[in-house]
Amino acid sequence: MKNLLFSMAALAASAGFAWAQGAAVPDNLEKLGNFQTTGVTEFTYIEQGGDYAAGIKATLERITLPDGFKIGLYAIVPDARHMAVGPQGIVTIVGTRKDKVWSVTDRNKDRVADEVKDFAPSLTFAIPNGPCFSKDGFLYIAEQNRVLLFPAAEFFYESPDVAAFNLVAQGDLIPPEDVSYNHTARVCKIGPDGKIYISLGQPFNVAPAENLERYNKWGIGGMIRMNTDGTGREVYTYGIRNSVGHDFDPKTGDLWFTDNQVDGMGDDIPPGEINHQTAKGQNFGFPWYGGGSVRTNEYMGEEPPADVVMPAVEQVAHAADLGMSFYTGKMFPAKYRGAIFSAQHGSWNRTTPVGARVMVTFIDDEGMATSEPFAEGWIDENDEYLGRPVDVTNLRDGSILVSDDLAGAIYRIWYEG
Amino acid sequence: MRLGLVAALGGVFLAGAVSASGDLAGDPVAGRKVAGMCRTCHGLDGYAKIPIAPHIGGEPAGYLVAQLTAFRDGTRVHEMMSVVARGLSDAQIADVAAWYAGHRAVARLTADPAGAPAACVACHGADGIALFEDAPNLAGETNIYIDTQLKAFRGGKRMHEIMSDVAAEMTDAEIRAVADWYAAVGLKITAGE
Repeated sequence: MKNLLFSMAALAASAGFAWAQGAAVPDNLEKLGNFQTTGVTEFTYIEQGGDYAAGIKATLERITLPDGFKIGLYAIVPDARHMAVGPQGIVTIVGTRKDKVWSVTDRNKDRVADEVKDFAPSLTFAIPNGPCFSKDGFLYIAEQNRVLLFPAAEFFYESPDVAAFNLVAQGDLIPPEDVSYNHTARVCKIGPDGKIYISLGQPFNVAPAENLERYNKWGIGGMIRMNTDGTGREVYTYGIRNSVGHDFDPKTGDLWFTDNQVDGMGDDIPPGEINHQTAKGQNFGFPWYGGGSVRTNEYMGEEPPADVVMPAVEQVAHAADLGMSFYTGKMFPAKYRGAIFSAQHGSWNRTTPVGARVMVTFIDDEGMATSEPFAEGWIDENDEYLGRPVDVTNLRDGSILVSDDLAGAIYRIWYEG
Repeated sequence: MRLGLVAALGGVFLAGAVSASGDLAGDPVAGRKVAGMCRTCHGLDGYAKIPIAPHIGGEPAGYLVAQLTAFRDGTRVHEMMSVVARGLSDAQIADVAAWYAGHRAVARLTADPAGAPAACVACHGADGIALFEDAPNLAGETNIYIDTQLKAFRGGKRMHEIMSDVAAEMTDAEIRAVADWYAAVGLKITAGE
């Protein structure tokens, strides 16, 4: 074990990583960064099965899917938000909007998880919503106001002491005075250029004009990218309200992302969005536009930027489009290959709730996108939510996983034909 | 600090006395209908369904009225609550506050109460059940919710005659420790009598 730690350290050093150590590094992060033990030896394990699982399975009986598709319970994971499947397929890391990160393991490969336990239990997390893996096995976790880096996480996660470093130190992701709770569920993904892309929601329904200059400087209400050693930070995307899901088209390398639109303008406007970005620096219209081409009341008299990019495809208003992934597997029929699977969390302020389903978006050869429901049924006849999907990701066998933070579960959808 | 707390407590008693005499009595049955717009996040019984929302079942009515009024009038700002509250009348606020206040919040503290955060217990209790109309229950709230509110008081985004002073002296680590204490308390919300 000692030799392995040394070789990991050597690997990190030889790869030229210059991990920035902030002034206020918590003790355990400092210890883990030095490959020391923290004394924390206990994991929290989540019971799988039992009455709770039976209740979720009963809900899944109601879920409708296209012919040939099946849905089943993959794991009980409290507060499950965004997911990252390890490049070796060993572990799925799941974020929350609380203070835990979960590791989910299917040891016997029957496509149902056997073990769910907390990841890096010695660290104090704050809204560790967004995990993402690089191809070479580095795990990143984007929190409310910090980004952590875990080399070889698929190996180290079996121990409570996992090597950990700051990618962006506490308080450096956004100015601490701009921190809020609701729009700080970050998502990260590694782009085809090897850089990490992180969404930064802005903390208002409609952002006040006096904040815009500061927000644009930091990338708040946008998307930032940086090298995976923390250098070269720049704003990649402007004019976003609160994006909680993005991915790169494996064919073109382009960034696509969902965005949650303005509340309080009525039940049916403004539309939700899936956006397509083709170049650095593009502006997607917020706060001049509240969603699609609907102007916000607050900026009605203002001239929007001339080069605003409209959404690639509009979604039903207030459905809360969150996590998304391009389908990279081969299990599903041909028409689904290269399509986007995305989760709608469901509305919170609409007279009749909408959403709480998985959508599929097809992109044709000209780049035109069309969306349709793929898995639905989580709203019952009394307009009560039985589940609220958050994120969709690919498993290596070609099936997809869907997380749900209301039920506290991950579902697997597969094709049987 | 001790001086601040004594002065603060004076403020509480004063505020409690004023709000008790000036209350608009709400109708919980009418409030249950208003709660239709709260339930996706706070639950119909006030046990929150999402971590960013506080548990409000069994909360003092005076606290709920004060917060909803502040959201409506813009003295407290939140991307969701400002939208929800801006269309509410005084009567609707009183009604929905009566509905949620009519529930009972029961805390289960397993840690030694001696370890409770000293700066908080006089108003919020060692177990996070409020001792005054003007204070919210904290039992079982998500730690990040409490953390966010304390930082909002400290930074001036949220103002309160007592809390602004209490939070002003706290470090990030102290804030998180307080948040973790109350988040660890078990909470059950039951229907009122």
